[in-house]
Amino acid sequence: MLEEVVLLAVDEKTGGLRSTREFGTAYALVGAVLFDLALAGKIDTDTEVIQIIDGKPTGNTTLDRVLVEMSRRRDLNTVQDWIEHIYHRKADLEGEALASLIQQGILCHEKSKRMWFVDVERFPMVNDRPQQHVKLRLAEAIRTDGIPDTRDIMLISIAEPCGLLSFVVDDAELARRRDRIQMLCNLETISRKVARAIGRLDGTLRAQMMPRII
Amino acid sequence: MIQVTQETRAGWHVVGVRGRADSEAADELEGALRAAVEAHPKVAADFAALDYISSAGLRAVLQAARAAQQRNAEFAVCSPSARVQKVFDMSGLQHVLRIYGELPC
Repeated sequence: MLEEVVLLAVDEKTGGLRSTREFGTAYALVGAVLFDLALAGKIDTDTEVIQIIDGKPTGNTTLDRVLVEMSRRRDLNTVQDWIEHIYHRKADLEGEALASLIQQGILCHEKSKRMWFVDVERFPMVNDRPQQHVKLRLAEAIRTDGIPDTRDIMLISIAEPCGLLSFVVDDAELARRRDRIQMLCNLETISRKVARAIGRLDGTLRAQMMPRII
Repeated sequence: MIQVTQETRAGWHVVGVRGRADSEAADELEGALRAAVEAHPKVAADFAALDYISSAGLRAVLQAARAAQQRNAEFAVCSPSARVQKVFDMSGLQHVLRIYGELPC
């Protein structure tokens, strides 16, 4: 799921990483790691608390590093605690997911300079089928009224709060299906906490950007 | 850990679930409910004796409801305890599937 979130963020035309809410995507990556661990049967959550069910490695470097850290830090036990804790590793999460997508031959890596000194990194699509597949799955889950597959519920619920769904369906359709999307987002504890963390960060950033009145 | 019972009453196949629907029990719960919706047109999951449901348990119920939708079978969750109902309320499960305060049969 971590790779699917990154794939949604890659602009298929330019290879740039896009997001309508820059910091939100980092939280989506954190949500994706926690969902990947849940799907692997390593963790479970209730409405607040996160529990390690099985500390044995999954074989995925990123997931195993987070799992080891979760096993060590018994002082952090709520979903919110872990979202905030893993958030500080956002660059690692994105970098490792990109590296994996490059290794699988889905993306390639290009470096260039802008204005002679600004480094620009791009990740053009080599094989656009995986991204198209993810988009089609999510569009279907948004447009229809049935209960989607667990994985699609999870992905929609972390893609929505950071604005990545606007790369899946157009704005008019997004507005028309707002209630449906919100309903899907609410189903998972991890997604509710991710949305709350993004909301809190937005509030903090807005407060910092407000002119000070003395 | 859960204990599952099955009986048919007044046209409904009732799957009684007792215990804790957590990660450990999720596969068993989904399997029992899926098997029921594949074999019967009307299935009621009786959660009166279900003490606890985690996210994994909730996903199991949702995917069983999804299987019921795909087969045009009727599926309802019935008599959840206050603790389980609270989890349903927080996740808005009532918008996705039928939840009855009592068994329909």
